[in-house]
Amino acid sequence: MRIAIATPLYPPDIAEPAPYVKELAARLSGKHEITIVTYGRFPEEIPGVRIVAVSKQRPLPIRLALYTFALLSVGSRTDVIYALNGPSVELPASIASFLTRTPLIAFLGDASAHARAQQRSALKHLEETFLRRACTTVSHTPLQHPEILPFSPYPNEKMEAFNRSWKAHLEELEAALLYV
Amino acid sequence: MSNENRTSWENYRDTEIARVTPILTDLGYVLDEAQPHTKGERYLMQAVTTESGKKLILLGRDTETDGRVVIKVTSSPDGIRELEHERTCRRVLAEIGFSYQSFLSPKELLFVRTGPYCISVQAFIEQEKPFLDRSIEEQFELALRSFKAQESAHAATYEHARLVRKTFGSMEATGYLRGFERFMACPHGAGELLQKAHDELYNGRHTIEQYGGFLTHTDFVPHNFRVLGNAIYLLDHSSLRFGNKYEGWARFLNFMTLHNRPLEAALLEYVHANRTPEESASLRLMRVYRLGEIICYYTRTLPKSEGSLLALNEARIAFWTEVLAATLEGRTVGDDIVENYRTVRDSLRSDEEKQRQIGLH
Repeated sequence: MRIAIATPLYPPDIAEPAPYVKELAARLSGKHEITIVTYGRFPEEIPGVRIVAVSKQRPLPIRLALYTFALLSVGSRTDVIYALNGPSVELPASIASFLTRTPLIAFLGDASAHARAQQRSALKHLEETFLRRACTTVSHTPLQHPEILPFSPYPNEKMEAFNRSWKAHLEELEAALLYV
Repeated sequence: MSNENRTSWENYRDTEIARVTPILTDLGYVLDEAQPHTKGERYLMQAVTTESGKKLILLGRDTETDGRVVIKVTSSPDGIRELEHERTCRRVLAEIGFSYQSFLSPKELLFVRTGPYCISVQAFIEQEKPFLDRSIEEQFELALRSFKAQESAHAATYEHARLVRKTFGSMEATGYLRGFERFMACPHGAGELLQKAHDELYNGRHTIEQYGGFLTHTDFVPHNFRVLGNAIYLLDHSSLRFGNKYEGWARFLNFMTLHNRPLEAALLEYVHANRTPEESASLRLMRVYRLGEIICYYTRTLPKSEGSLLALNEARIAFWTEVLAATLEGRTVGDDIVENYRTVRDSLRSDEEKQRQIGLH
């Protein structure tokens, strides 16, 4: 399946959901054709994954428009848009999904963006529109990659829990893809 | 020449302390008898560092509370600009909305312009022990936490960049390359090696740029932060800028090459195990950049040194050139080279400088 992942953050950004998106794309890329649409100038590469990056070094309205065009272009050639919450993606993803008729799967992975949306009516309205537009919503968030620290034993248990959480997340995602 | 520089510094120091003491008394502060930060090789740093103005960093006490304080005093226009800039950096740092973690700064007790002087008084952060006297695990945890706190301020968007550019300044790959070209212009014997280093930086400019836009303390070494309880206080805010994420790491690791090799190894291991290969490459390139800078710095001290200090500065250039050669080959310098250099350094350092170094790190 051809999947477009629309995300506001991607490494070298360090805040979540950036590391999540990289991990997700790497895990899905063996089975699916993945394109990431993100903001940034020099995204970290993943073998076998196409990354479309829209520069953040422009004023907000311009980068939102450029991101929307990029997602329209990618979305018209994919089977599904998997979009993370956050206003800078919710608006372009809703527009791209509507205009290209590409099914949208929403992922509420950015808890802080979701919290901000609860406090401001415009953002809340945008998030609700985004969720209404989505054919399904994925809510399970996998664990973050445990750190490997020089003076501590290798985190075997945490690593197992990390892999288990990713297995559960991918199962939920594959089930969501069946709706498409 | 060396004596001229030293005498000039000592005259400046003594005159300024004599003039500023009554002013400080009126403001409610008294100076300590011993002022370690005005002695040793301090005069040489002042003579070589052109970026900052002449200033004194003094220790004293608040006469009302008897609390220890750090007093920065300057009457030179560049020094005043530096103190004002540092103050602005402290204020903006506390306000950065896109930083995910907060930074601690020593409390500012006074900032005043009086007569020709600009005086900044901050609370002295009393550490339980110097950083390098802590266990290696503690040092690692503290250093990593500090780096993560810096990295959490990422000026990624147009709005962020506009907010921070004027205050902190920012450095992109072209800036690092231009800076390195200035280091190469210093007349030293490592020309071929520095050219090789420049080529590496040029070829890696994309990687340098990739990890740009992060807050970084360009002089992040133990004497520029203090630890109280579990909290880390950043000092010298004028050394903060937005640049490559690993510039501060690089300065710290190069410092630890000399002062704590197991910590250097642990931090390198951490980056290798937890971050991408591009990030390891970026760290190596930043180390190369900072090594070029330190070689240039000591080269510039040569005309201002004589006797043992001249021999020491020549040994420093030779040592850091060895470290640069090793870094360019993707390895760390041998322990024997570090040990030999330490022996030479300790035999050539003046007693006054040895005194200044006690408890500094």
